[in-house]
Amino acid sequence: MDKDFKTKISKALGDDVLRGALGRFGDAYTLARAKAYEGYDFDALSENIVQVKSYAANHIDEMMDQFEKAATARGAKVYRAATAADAKKYVSDLVKKKGIKRIVKSKSMVSEEILLNDDLIADGIDVQETDLGEWIVQLAGQHPSHMVLPAIHMTKEEVATTFSGHLKRVEQPVIAELVKTARVELRKKFLEAEMGISGANIAVAETGTLMMLTNEGNGRLTNTLPPTQVFLVGMEKFVRKFEDAQHIIQALPKSATGQLITSYVTMITGPTPAYYADGTVKDKDFHIVIIDNGRRKMFNDEKFKKTFQCVRCASCLNVCPAFQLLGGHVYGHIYTGGIGTILTNFVNSERDAKNPQNLCLQCGKCSEVCPGKLDIPQMILELRNRMGEKDGIGAAPKFALDVVSNRRLFHSMLRVASLAQLPFSKGQPVIRHLPMFLSGLTEKKSLPTVAKVPFRDVIKKVKQEVKKPKGKVALYAGCLIDFVYPKIGEGIIAGLNEKGYEVIFPDGQSCCGAPATYMGDRKNARKCAVMNIEAMEAEKVDYVVSGCPTCTHALIDSFKELVQDDPTLLARAEELSRKSRDFSKLLFDLGGLPAGGDGVPMKITYHDSCHLKRSMGVFAEPRKILTDTAGVELIEMKESDRCCGFAGSYSIKFPEISGPILDRKMKNIEETGADFVVVDCPGCLMQIGGGLDKKNPKIKVIHTAELLLQKRKKAKMNKK
Amino acid sequence: MGIDKTTALYETFKSKLQVLSGECFRVNTAKEAGELVCKVMKEKGINNVALLNSAISLKGEFVNQISQAGITVYTDHFREVTPEAHAGITQVDYAIAEFGTLIQARNDASVDDRLCSTLIPIHIALVSTATMMPTLAEAMTTIHQLPQIPGFVGFITGPSRTSDIERVLTVGVHGPKQLIVIFVDEQVEGVA
Repeated sequence: MDKDFKTKISKALGDDVLRGALGRFGDAYTLARAKAYEGYDFDALSENIVQVKSYAANHIDEMMDQFEKAATARGAKVYRAATAADAKKYVSDLVKKKGIKRIVKSKSMVSEEILLNDDLIADGIDVQETDLGEWIVQLAGQHPSHMVLPAIHMTKEEVATTFSGHLKRVEQPVIAELVKTARVELRKKFLEAEMGISGANIAVAETGTLMMLTNEGNGRLTNTLPPTQVFLVGMEKFVRKFEDAQHIIQALPKSATGQLITSYVTMITGPTPAYYADGTVKDKDFHIVIIDNGRRKMFNDEKFKKTFQCVRCASCLNVCPAFQLLGGHVYGHIYTGGIGTILTNFVNSERDAKNPQNLCLQCGKCSEVCPGKLDIPQMILELRNRMGEKDGIGAAPKFALDVVSNRRLFHSMLRVASLAQLPFSKGQPVIRHLPMFLSGLTEKKSLPTVAKVPFRDVIKKVKQEVKKPKGKVALYAGCLIDFVYPKIGEGIIAGLNEKGYEVIFPDGQSCCGAPATYMGDRKNARKCAVMNIEAMEAEKVDYVVSGCPTCTHALIDSFKELVQDDPTLLARAEELSRKSRDFSKLLFDLGGLPAGGDGVPMKITYHDSCHLKRSMGVFAEPRKILTDTAGVELIEMKESDRCCGFAGSYSIKFPEISGPILDRKMKNIEETGADFVVVDCPGCLMQIGGGLDKKNPKIKVIHTAELLLQKRKKAKMNKK
Repeated sequence: MGIDKTTALYETFKSKLQVLSGECFRVNTAKEAGELVCKVMKEKGINNVALLNSAISLKGEFVNQISQAGITVYTDHFREVTPEAHAGITQVDYAIAEFGTLIQARNDASVDDRLCSTLIPIHIALVSTATMMPTLAEAMTTIHQLPQIPGFVGFITGPSRTSDIERVLTVGVHGPKQLIVIFVDEQVEGVA
């Protein structure tokens, strides 16, 4: 990550206008999208998209051949461009050959990608973007910051200034008037243009049909007026059958803008008639350019094949906590947000994706709303890992992660830390470079201290009372419970004891490797995996329980992937995966706890951790367990499953982004009027606890296991 | 299609279109459609209109009716008249109740059809009630089963709109600012 990138980030964060516009949009979008999907089965719809798009991806050459044959039979000229330069040359040659001087364009992201306008303008051609947002951005000399809403980063005042400068007259910052100006000015351009250039949302292989979904009417005009027409089509737009397109027509508007359908859906099959300059009506000169420009490389890569399922709705941007704060321009290229980072990696270069890939919190919110079922965080992680393997991850993080994957060294350091005067200052070497909880203090939150006695020592002294024993559970503590929040571990023991399970603590366990995984250090992550697979000895217990969803995710998913190359380890990892549960999930699966609790009124609100909710689909279970406890009243907060901004090392790497994300969480918590925020993740606990400590120390944060321990212990004492 | 089912589809169509600030009417005969068109245009202060003749407009003698209402009717030279005309009247081929969508799918992909429905600020669309389909899925199959997929198929759902500046919805950008849809129950023979 370079300095310029950090500068861009602070510039974006300091832009109140941008923050305001993006914030309002983010809020409104969520509601509009939900409303648009009312009465529709989103899962079924996205499953259909996955099917038709993955079929096309797996038969891409067949799709292109069929399309070319069908379109050619209808009179189209089809050209396949391997690179941006090929595509530009084709268009440029055509323009020169026909002596074309004036071009109107309706929206085409691929034309932005290949920077077509620059070439045409250099040739002295008048090229007009006609989509309002694109036109604004063009006049302002910028690039789109969003695939669907290119000028989302600009205010009406800025638009008015841009128009005034272009038209050499004063334009008022009144949106209706600005739109009118665009209509009048661009109408002239439409009527005199000799060529129209459009993008396509869908290309149907069997019929040679191109489809575009638009709202403003500029697409229809571009497709109707100029006698020469060029469609630029990214190779990912194909579907096999005409009817296959309906799933995209259904989902794209709903996911993109919260509309049931766009104002216009235009389907073009071969040349259509147009008026020529001499007043005659004849079929158009009709060209289709299919563009590869890095796409085939992307589809041929098993880990990125699914990008073909992307319909470019940009919903992943709209829900991304980082994008909502920063907008699109910090991503550096045409495609922005999470999916944009992945596309940039292939259509531009790995180097261009290197900075923006850091911006992903790995919160998984984007995957939840993606109609193409892309696991964007996973793909970004893959990029991160590849970059880490190729270029290294930097000396300081590398050292820290080397320490963490060496259990003895790591743990002895933590024990030293627990004896040192707390809190840590930045002046202390080594410690400040440890990942996660020991690193640099931030302005927004205070950090907890390392526990005097780690959980691995605490558990030896805990007296486990198990009446009618049913089995044995191995507790995987993870760094935060082991060394910072041992009380959570005690709560887990108490809960499981009550269900008839003895809890053991395999001593050889250490860090789950998540810090290494999320920083792109697959080597150290694998070391951690092996260490823990061997230590946990899942074969000897009924369950493995963890009170940290990030660790549980590692136990269930990551370890398996990391040791895939070793069949013996893989078998053990699979057994570990099968037996691993997050605490609240295990307790729920075991039938929950019998009625209990001290009955003292306690107003709580619940924060969903990203990994628990989205990686494991666990959210009802903790709520049930909590509200079954006498005295507990749950008040739901707004956006309870929105990331708290911790995201492991992210809060250290980007305190300036993590901070405002935490602020929003604080606001949502405060609005409930609850006295306690309950979480199931010690990372969230630390982040939210730190925020509350600074901002509103009256509200306390507590882990589910610890709450149960408190409320039920008291109840027992009361009974006595 | 049964009367009840047709009415239910019409009501769905109408409610979806009205949410998008489109206007929706239903009449029995082509003649009544002509009368309604004249009334609507008078109310809106329309002085001239580009009319692309169709089965319904011919049967309903639109040219006569509109002229008699004192409104200028253009029935040709559309490339010259549509940029300035106050309104355009075309007949569309199908409708989808699910979204309040009209479908243009003429087998000749007529450019005049597009000019009269795109360049003008007010689009008056005539549609035979019998062509109404409940869903997008059915519409896609219907289009695909035509002898050949028309060169131009256009779905129209409400007037043109944008939210490109500060995400504030503004109706009427490059396409029509108003969309008026008139369903005609009378079965009229001939090409749309």
